[in-house]
This record gives sequence, structure tokens and C-alpha cells, in this order.
Amino acid sequence: MKLGKTSETSRSRSRGEQELWAVPELPGVEEGRRQTLFHRWDPRIKIASLLLFSFCAASVGTVGTALLCCAVSASALMVAGTPWRLAARRIAAMAAFLAMFFVVLPLTVPVLPGDQVATLGHGTWIQINFRGFSVAALVAAKAMSVALLMEPLLRTSPFPRTVNALARLGVPDPLCQMLLIMYRYVFVFRHEMSRLWVGMNVRGFRPGTNRRTIHILGNFLGMLFVRSLERTERVHEAMLCRGFTGRFPTRESFRSTPLDWALGAGWVLGGVAVLLLDRYETLPFSGVFR
Amino acid sequence: MHIADGVLPTKVALACYALSAGCLSLSLRKTRAQDLPKVAVMTSAFFVASLVHVPLGPTSVHLLLPGLVGILLGWSAFLAVFLGLLLQCLLFQFGGLTALGANALMMGLPAWLSGAFFTRFRNSPDRVRILAGAMASGTAVAVAACGLAMLLALGGEDFFGVAKIALAAHVPVVVVEALVTASVLAFVGRVKPELITQGAWKAEWR
Amino acid sequence: MHLQAIPIHRPQQSASCVYRLEGVDYTYPNGNRALRGINLCIHEGDRIALLGHNGSGKTTLARVLSGLARPARGRVLFEEAPLEPHRLGHLRKKVGFLFQDPDDQLFCTSVLDDVLFGLINFQTPPEGAAQRALGALAQLGLEDTAHKAPHHLSYGQRKRAALAAVLALYPSVLILDEPTANLDPASEDLLAQVLKGYAGTLICISHDLLFLYGLCTRAVVLQDGCLHHDTSFEALISHRRSLQEHGLDFTFRFRCCDSPGRHVGAGRSPVRSTANDPSSSLPPARSAHVCRVSAGEAGSDACQRPEQPPILELHQYTYRYKDGAVALRDVSLQVRRGERVALVGPNGAGKSTLAACLAGIRSGSGRYRFDGKIVDNRRRRELWRHVGLLFQDSADQTVCSRCYDEVAFGLRNLGWPESKVHQKVRAMLRWAGLGDLENRVPQHLSGGERKRLALASVLAMEPDVLILDEPTAGLDPQAEENLLKLLDEVEATILLISHDICFVSMLTDRTILLHRGKIVRDVPTWRFLKDENLHSLYGLDFTYYNRCCREIQHLQETASETADGKGAPFNGL
Repeated sequence: MKLGKTSETSRSRSRGEQELWAVPELPGVEEGRRQTLFHRWDPRIKIASLLLFSFCAASVGTVGTALLCCAVSASALMVAGTPWRLAARRIAAMAAFLAMFFVVLPLTVPVLPGDQVATLGHGTWIQINFRGFSVAALVAAKAMSVALLMEPLLRTSPFPRTVNALARLGVPDPLCQMLLIMYRYVFVFRHEMSRLWVGMNVRGFRPGTNRRTIHILGNFLGMLFVRSLERTERVHEAMLCRGFTGRFPTRESFRSTPLDWALGAGWVLGGVAVLLLDRYETLPFSGVFR
Repeated sequence: MHIADGVLPTKVALACYALSAGCLSLSLRKTRAQDLPKVAVMTSAFFVASLVHVPLGPTSVHLLLPGLVGILLGWSAFLAVFLGLLLQCLLFQFGGLTALGANALMMGLPAWLSGAFFTRFRNSPDRVRILAGAMASGTAVAVAACGLAMLLALGGEDFFGVAKIALAAHVPVVVVEALVTASVLAFVGRVKPELITQGAWKAEWR
Repeated sequence: MHLQAIPIHRPQQSASCVYRLEGVDYTYPNGNRALRGINLCIHEGDRIALLGHNGSGKTTLARVLSGLARPARGRVLFEEAPLEPHRLGHLRKKVGFLFQDPDDQLFCTSVLDDVLFGLINFQTPPEGAAQRALGALAQLGLEDTAHKAPHHLSYGQRKRAALAAVLALYPSVLILDEPTANLDPASEDLLAQVLKGYAGTLICISHDLLFLYGLCTRAVVLQDGCLHHDTSFEALISHRRSLQEHGLDFTFRFRCCDSPGRHVGAGRSPVRSTANDPSSSLPPARSAHVCRVSAGEAGSDACQRPEQPPILELHQYTYRYKDGAVALRDVSLQVRRGERVALVGPNGAGKSTLAACLAGIRSGSGRYRFDGKIVDNRRRRELWRHVGLLFQDSADQTVCSRCYDEVAFGLRNLGWPESKVHQKVRAMLRWAGLGDLENRVPQHLSGGERKRLALASVLAMEPDVLILDEPTAGLDPQAEENLLKLLDEVEATILLISHDICFVSMLTDRTILLHRGKIVRDVPTWRFLKDENLHSLYGLDFTYYNRCCREIQHLQETASETADGKGAPFNGL
């Protein structure tokens, strides 16, 4: 971190700053060096078709098909060439939520005829139903398959372009503009907050489970809100000064080629195929997991 | 806690999308066009604030803040919640893209609720106001937790247990959230009272 | 009484009026009257310095001029026609406003988008717009950063980008709010150059008279929302009493810009331990002698005082960022108890990183001993008890809603009993001249008061080492002088990071020059000041400022001679 207001190079700010509340970034400009299939794809078609595929992947009912979806997403990730590390971070973000399923489901899933059940200890009050594991695995696999797809979806075109594509797909303009403004100010506030946090830290504040922590955290958040409210006014005035009339100018143009459409159709068909497979249980190993 | 992809049945996820689209358009209509950039800036502050973890014994909980969003933003709260969750999903994968509608409903409706409740107390004396804020905020989290449990339970009988556990896990969050809100309101009430008495840029219930 | 002293500013009659303000009042929604009965005429091509204390209404006036605030009473005429809502669009095309915080003005995801924002809003044809945008960026040395996201730019770069976004619109009136606050010298130079080349009407709010000198020809001074002076800039700066009255008297700076050789001790009070009555509550008294280096000792590069053990000791200390970029390279350094050391160097030299390492916020590789003991991870977490940090922006250091709590914050973290905290807080607030502001909200204080509050809250914890990061940034000269007085009383070891050579010379004995993460010079301050090659070599050129300083001093001296003594009323020229 920098002491106080930063005036040094961006490098020292973004990297040196405490890793508190690290916010991952999405690409801001076109990357010249890497040009995979995903990078060249018209963002509008990319978003629409990948989103459709995601919904298909999220609605499968067997572990086998869900794993197949995972494989498809993972290969997309490989083709897009985005770093695995970032995809792993996404999975780590869901880990706690999914772990809960693995712990809780085996203990609470109602016993159906044909379920394998193990009883712990003497009493019957702790029962482990192995069907619970497979249900949890299904949920985890589905979540993974969508999460893995996010990197190829978001990291292969600049974020503003992605948002503009969303606008072309029918998402209301104001929402898209707001998303871009938010994306900008999240980083501003993060820096502001970590400076404040460091300021409290060097005066010996260490959070714990006590009244004082709650009080100081309240001050801290209050400070953040007060400062951000003051900033909203100034940002708005700065916009007015430069001729803002309620609409953000866009200069993005999209062009689609037959290849783009073919790719999109391929993904949609893939999604439908996965659903059909799932419905008719034709996968060789689907019965195993069932 | 946010629902990940693949937990909800697709029908439920789509229905939630449709419902939250309705709420979103209502929220958009109730926000003046010139205030939209301000809502966006304020939302990023909430976004950053929700990254703060409050230590709780051996673990920590992160703040959800639906109550405070409602208190400060009024009708625009749903908009803020939706955008905040969308960005969280895009950047962190907290909550899945397919479950975004459900997550937005789960947080956005309690935010509205707490805003509507608190608005009567905007000009009350300090102590009453803080108490009302804490109650609004605690209730908002409780309602959100119930929403989460309900949505999970919609996945079928298999998920009833998870739903109950999720509900129980939110009890400490309700308490922490209420206390933090009280403390935030006390601070803001001294430093910038107009933020509470009028809401951000007069986001009163119109 | 005062009005008689205002010489009427009479510009050449030919120039037409861009703005005419007639009895303008402005009241904030919370009832705060920011402007009262302002009558002002701004001519085309005027270069106006808008001056006054914090809270005197300068920014409000700028907002009125840029059509952001509608006066409650009175008329604003822009180009001789009343400013009505339907003419705002026209005004905004012609008037550019540079905000104080560049983050307010850069709201797009890339710098180029930000510059284009206004151009597209004002319907400039796309090809022309892109050209103009790139031209404006190039003018401010930002060609390479056009496609970067603003949060990847340094503060100085962001400030310049914001100016580029304004200048790309070719405004005929340019209003600047504190353009130099917190700015690094290199960016400031570039800014000054660009502004000098700007041909239109210029209105500049600033405390930095040295920056304004040579840029502005007319001075408008506000006090409590009223117009106090409207005169030529030279007339104002040559009249010390008016400067004093408006907190603008920076003559204390003359002491450091004099002829070389008079640096050392010239600005320093010979006795450090001043007559502070609660001396027991102040940081522990310095047992060491002040390190005084006379001119005869010029041979020794560092201040040698073997009898004192070093309090800070770095040995081959290296700090790397996560991606491997090196911020500090093999830094070895010893600071003895009671020394006052300045850390100077161009931007990105690693000054702040070094300070952060010393304060235990970051840790690199190499040996760091504090007070003779090796700082391991456990001790690093406890360093806050011994090292105090004063941030550049005091807003980052105030987290409580009462001044009292702010000072008590650290003491409570130290686990002091409440009765002792109470005594100490009272004493510190009194010391900082904030004795009667105990219950005020820190965020409502002026910049100078807030800085002193931050200093009091750091010093209350009785640190052995005090690290100051750009303490003068954004303060008006009056506040600077007050701060300097307070700092001179501090007995702790001081490490000062500053671009402000004047402050360095007045507060420190020893100067460490950092360049690209390495210590390139470690010399007594007076020697550092004499070595002008060194300054230009590392982009720390302040000879221009010295020259301005001397010219202004000369102006003041001649003015007071002609006015026959100090007490004469201000008659201008």
C-alpha cells in the first residue's frame, strides 16, 4: 500500500497494496497477442450461446452428463487459453457453499428404497446416506461446469465490449452504463478502503469478536458511505460539465460472420444434446452414478 | 450466502429471473434518470463494503448489507442489489449467473422491505432511529435467509436438510448485521445526517 | 473599512466580459451561506487566481461559474446574457472545469473513453473526436496510457488525464480547482507548461502561490463568501499583510530559498524542547543531541554519532512486489534515535515502500532491526506501538465521529485505562491547538485542523519513530506554517517523505535520496540542498521555485519600502 493518497506508479498501488479485498480485474482493452476462437467471436453471439449452454448444463439431472458438461467447459477454457489460476479462483469462491452440500446432504437426505446407508456409532441418530454424496456431486459438477465457462466468456473480450454486447442483446441501456461505472468505482473505493484500513491498523486496531470491533467497523463503513455519497455528487457534476444528458455515448460496433453464427449454433446444439443425453440416459456410465 | 449454479431447478431459476426483471424495471422506473450514475457509484461502495469480514469467534462472516442498501437507497435498492450481485458473479463467482435472478430476489426484496420500514423513522430521535435501523437490517437478513431456505427447499425433499442448516447459519449474521448497521447509522448520523434523513439524494418513497 | 483598501482592478476596456456576476448569493441546502453578494466581472483572456481560506467559497464560486450551482439571488451573465437553464448546454461547451479529485472526472473504463466522453456528447464527428482526444492526451504526455484503465494510472497521470479530458473540448474558459494538490513535481511542471500555453480565460483556485506566480495576472480573494480583494496578482503577493489575513502568507518559506549556505539552522528553532506544559504527556524526551552539522564537517557524508545506537537499521533490504518487480534493492540504512531524516526521490523511487517496510506494513527480505532487535513476523505486528505514521491524506486516518475519540483510538488499542486516556487526549488536543474542538466531527474540520488532529492522534501513542508522508500536501500556507511549528516540537525520530524541498530543509538534518529502489545519496541536508546537479539529475529541480521565491520576496520588500513601513494600509500599486 501507499501511505495516504497515492501518487506513485500504478504498479506500487495495485500490487503492493495489501491483499485485503483483492478484486480481480477483467480485461480492459483488446489483447493483441492472443487471438483464439473465443477472442474473435462476436461477443453478442458468444454471450447468448454460452448463456444458453449454461442453462442447459445447470438443468441436467445425472452426474454423468454434468461431468460431460464440465469436460466441455474445461476444453473451452483450454481453447480460450485463459489462465487456469483464475478459473481455479472462481471454483475456490464456491467451495464453501458446495462443501456444505457434501457435509449436510449425506446426513439429511431422506432414505429412499435402494439407498445405501451407513450408521455411525450405536444409536441410529447419525445416518450417512450415500445417495447424498451423489446429489452433492451432481450440484458441484453443475456449478463447476458453469463456473469454468465464465472465464472464456468474460476474459476473451474487453469488459466494456462485453457490456455493450449485453446492451445489444436487449439488456436495458441504463443497466449497462451503471455496470461500467460500478466496475470503475469498485477499484477507487477498494483503494480508499484499504488506505483507511491500513490507517486503523497502524494505530493498533485488530478486529476481534467484541463490541469495540463492531463499533469501529461501523465507523469504517460509515466513513466509506459518506465519502462515496460525496463522490456521487461530484461524479455527477463532472459528467454534467462534459455535456452528459442522461445517455452514455457508445462507439462500439459489432459485426458477425457466418463463422460466429456457426459457433453459436454449435454451442446451442451442444446444450440441447446434453439435455437429450441426460433425459434418455444413453451415457454408458450414467447408471453407475444414479 | 449466494446460491451457486445448478442448485435450483431450471424452472425455478427462470421464474426468479422473470420476477426479478419485473422488480428491476419497477426499481428503474422509480429512480430518476439523472440519479442512475449516482446509484452506480453508491452501489460500488456497497460492493466493496460487502467484502469486509467481521470476525466471529474462530471464523468470520462477511456482511450482506441488504438492510443498509434499503435504508440508504430506497426504491433504487433493488437496482443496486441486482447490479452488485451481477458484478460479484462476473468478478468472483459468488453466486452463479443462472441463479442471479434468485439471488437478486433473495436480497432485493428484503432491502425494499427494510427501506420501507425505516422510512418512517428517518426523522425520529437518534436512539429510536438507530434501533429502527438495526431492526430493519436484522429483519432484512432474516428474511433473506428464509428466502434462501425456501429456494433451496424448492429443489425437492433432498434439500430440506440443507435449507434448515442454511437458515440456522444465518442467525449469527442477523445479529452482526443488526449491530453493524446500528453503528453505521450512529456514525453517519453525526457526520452526515442528511444521508439518513433524506436518504442518498432524496431517494424517498415516491 | 476594508473596502477602501481594495484597489479596483481596471483591465483594458477593449476586452469583453465573459462573466458578469451581480450580487450573487448562494446558500447550501443545509443553510450554509457560501457566497454573499458577489459582484465580479471576468474579461476574456483574464488569468485569475482565486484565493482564500478553506471554506471561503472558492469552490462554490467555481461551481456557480460552471453552471453547476444556481445562485439563490443575483444574476450571472455569461457572454452578456443571463444564464438560464436553456443556455447551460452552450456554457458547458465553452467552459471546462477541472475537479480537485481526478477520480471524480474519470468515470469511464479507459482514459481514451473519458476524453471522448465530452467530445461525443457535444456531437463532434467521430474521426475528428478521436484525433482531438489523442492530441490532448499527447499534450499531457499520456499517449501510451490512452487505453489503460484509470485505476492503473498514478495520481499525477490521472490528474493530467482529467485535464486532457477537459482540454480536448477546446474550452474558452478553464476553471481549475486545486490543480497542484498532492501532485508530484514532474506532473506539476507539465501542468504549468500546458496552462501557460493555454490562450483562453483561466480561473485557478489554489493555495500554491508559487505555482500561480507567472501563471495568473489577477487575484480574486474571497473571505466568508464575500469578495475581499480583486486586484493584480503582483499587488497581492507583494502585500504581506493581506496574505497573512487570508492564510496565504508563505514568507516562512523564504528562509529556505535564500542564498546557499544559509540553509542549515536558518529555519530551525535552536531549542527543540519547547515550553509545553504537559511535557510529561509528550513523547519521551530526546536524550540525544540534535545532530548538527556545521559547514566545516562537509567531509563526512552521513551524520556520525557513534554514541547513539541506531533505532532503525536496515541491512541489504530488498522488497519485491508480487509480480517480481523490485521496489527496494539492497537498501542499507541506519537511523539513530532522535535523528530527523528526509526521504526524497522522484516518483516510484520506493520512498513510500521503504516507509511501509519500516512501519511493518510490508515486509521484504533482508535484515531489519528495530531498536537493536531483529524484526521478525511477530515483532513486525507489534511495530505499531513504536512507529507512528502520518498519512498524506488525513481523510484516510480519521475514522471516528468525534475528535476526542480519534485521538483516543490508538490509546484504547494500546489498552490504556480510560482515565489516563482522558488526560492524554486532552493534553494532545491542546497541544495541537484543537482544545475546544473535542466534540466536533473530524470530517467537518478544515484541512489544516484535520492534519493537526491526525498528528495529535499519532503522537498521543508516544511513538519512537514518526514517519510523515507528504505532510504539506493540500494545505494552505498558514496551515503549513502551523504544522511546521508543531513538528519542530516533536521529539521522536522523524522520517519525512516529501517533494517539498523547503519543508525538508527546515525540518531535517539528513537527506536520503532514493532512485529506483536504491539509496543513491545519504548526506546532511544542507549539502543536499547545495548540490544543484543532484536535483536536476533526479528530477527534483526546485531552482525555478527558488527564483520565484526570491522575486516575490523582492516585490514584498520594495512594496513595504514604498509604503513606508509595515503598518501602512494596503494601497496596491
